[in-house]
Order: sequence, then C-alpha cells, then structure tokens
Amino acid sequence: MFDLALSEAGAQIILATSSDDKYPPENMIDGKDDTFWTTCGLYPQEFIIKFTSLVSINTIQISCYNVKKLKMEVSSDDNQAFKTLAEKELQPSDSAPQSEEISGRNVKAMNLRVVIESGYDHFCAVYKICVHGNAERS
Amino acid sequence: MPAVIRAKCIVVGDAGVGKSAICQLFTSDGSHFPKNYTLTMGAEFMVKPVVIPDTQDTVEMYMYDSAGKEIFTDMVMKFWDHPSMMIVVYDVTSETSFSSCEKWIERVRSQKPDVPFPGALVANKIDLEQRRIVGPKAGKELAMKTGLDYYECSAKEMQNVDTPFYFLASEYYKLYQEKVELFKAFVA
Ligand SMILES: Nc1nc2c(ncn2[C@@H]2O[C@H](COP(=O)(O)OP(=O)(O)OP(=O)(O)O)[C@@H](O)[C@H]2O)c(=O)[nH]1
Ligand SMILES: [Mg+2]
Repeated sequence: MFDLALSEAGAQIILATSSDDKYPPENMIDGKDDTFWTTCGLYPQEFIIKFTSLVSINTIQISCYNVKKLKMEVSSDDNQAFKTLAEKELQPSDSAPQSEEISGRNVKAMNLRVVIESGYDHFCAVYKICVHGNAERS
Repeated sequence: MPAVIRAKCIVVGDAGVGKSAICQLFTSDGSHFPKNYTLTMGAEFMVKPVVIPDTQDTVEMYMYDSAGKEIFTDMVMKFWDHPSMMIVVYDVTSETSFSSCEKWIERVRSQKPDVPFPGALVANKIDLEQRRIVGPKAGKELAMKTGLDYYECSAKEMQNVDTPFYFLASEYYKLYQEKVELFKAFVA
C-alpha cells in the first residue's frame, strides 16, 4: 500500500477554501509533518485532493488542530457527484495536534473532498493527510 | 499573494439605533447615510474588505446587519452561527436601547459559548447632544463589564463610524497570527 495523497506521487489539491500563501494547502500533501495549511476564518472550510488515477482507499489519516466536525466525501470521476464516506466529531486537543484515522472501506475514488464543518476555534490547521490504498487497474 | 482572512461580524441592537446607517456608511466608504428610517426585516448582508496596516493582508468583513425589532429575532439568530466578532449599537438618546445591550450580547455569545471573540459597544447619535441621556461613563462601564471595547460615533455626522470596524478587524487579525504561532509551536 502507498500514501496516495502525496504531491510527489502526483496528487494535487484542486480546491481549498482558504489560502494564506505562507501556509498553503499543498503543505498537507508534501509528506512533511511540520508544515500545515491554515483555514482563514468562517465555516465550513474544505479542500479536494485529486489522485493521479482511480484508487481504492483503505484508510485515511489526518493530523489537524481545532477541528470539530469533519466530513469526507469521494467521487469516482470528475463528472460524478460526491458521496459521503465518513462523518466524525473530533475531540478537542490542547497541547498537540489531533490525529484521526478513518476507514476507507476500499471505496473507489478519483477525488477526495474533506469538509471541516465546524471547529473549536475561529481557525484550524491541517498538518497532514495520508490516504493509504492502491491504484485501481484500469 | 497576501492572505485574506474572513470574519463574520454580527451587528445587533434595538430597532432604530442606527445599525443599518452605520453598516451602510462603512461599506459605502461614507457616501451613503440613510436619512429616512427603513426598518430592517431579518438580516441584511454585506461585505467589506479591510486592509491591515503595515501588512498586505486583508480582513474581509462579512457583516450581518440584524433587525432590532423583537418579532424578527428568532429568524435573524439563524444567521448567526460561527460568529467571529460582534458590534452592539445603542442610541445615546434612548435609555431603553442602552439597557437592551446586555440581552443582545448574551444572544450573540450563546452562539459560540466556548470560543471568545472580539466585540465593540457603539454609542451612536452623539450629534443629538441636547437629547443625550446615556453618558460616556455608563457606556464605558458596560463595555468593561461585558468585555467589549467602547466607541462613540455619529452616523449622521459621519464621525468615527469606521473606527470600531477597523479595531475589530485588527483584533481578529491578531487572533489569526496568534493561532498560527500556536500551530507552528506544536511541530517546531
Ligand atoms: N441624529 C442621528 N440620527 C441617526 C444616526 N444614525 C442613524 N440615525 C437615524 O435613525 C434612524 C434609524 O436608523 P437605522 O440605521 O435604520 O436603525 P436600525 O438600527 O438599523 O433599525 P432596525 O433595522 O429597525 O433594527 C434613521 O432615521 C437614521 O437616519 C445618528 O448618528 N444621528
Ligand atoms: Mg436596520
């Protein structure tokens, strides 16, 4: 299994609702633990990761801060509507990033949309998102 | 590209105190003071970008000018989820509007009880000197008690209307910077 959400592997952030150039959304998929994306105020916030090809998702790991309600959705190609994969309410954390693992149930996806529906503060950070799985044979 | 920080600014207070006048003046850069009273039904929404001095960053203020008439309250409160900041306005010639402020503050704060957010208490219509009943001392005391910053203005004379907005924008921007420092500290 690979981390499919790596910019090195060709994954791309095709949409993000906040952008401070100092903390861009690409920081979530650069493979580093110490860089992050910040949301710049208001809810909901979201970003979409596009994989290089159709993939099958085993697990998703997200490391973030101040996130409360989180929703993950997938679409199997660019013309398909997004379907909900998981909805979670994260526990608050004081002194370290939150870390959450979500089962992908081997769902087929071309795009992954992550929605932060609410937070424990005005601003959230997402440090890293790893999507473990395999490329689908076409 | 500079950062654009977004803030939801809830503007509340009794009917007729001048909320719409203040919001319209601020968003029109002082070119529009509504002389005749048109009561707001529900909430009116407007956006105004504020550039933060000495930076290239902007705080975009999404303002919710809310109706003061009680019959609209349940309806307007639906627009208030996730507030970033609030402006509470009263009319210095109306004791009632002043005593209502705490009720308005409570209502906005109840939306996000765990998350502190900046707010301003604005004493409007200071041009009506002869009819003024609520003095600066009472205003400042209430502001102190409720944790808001106190401002006086006259929308009619276009005096000091922008100041509370600029103050809130810069407070919010500071909050953002503090949070970013915290985010960094976790992984430093
Ligand atoms: N003299 C004076 N009149 C003002 C001032 N600001 C507003 N007014 C007048 O007060 C009246 C009410 O102003 P609005 O801004 O509509 O009041 P509001 O708070 O939005 O009222 P609602 O929408 O009903 O909650 C209008 O006739 C305004 O022209 C001021 O600074 N001085
Ligand atoms: Mg109004």
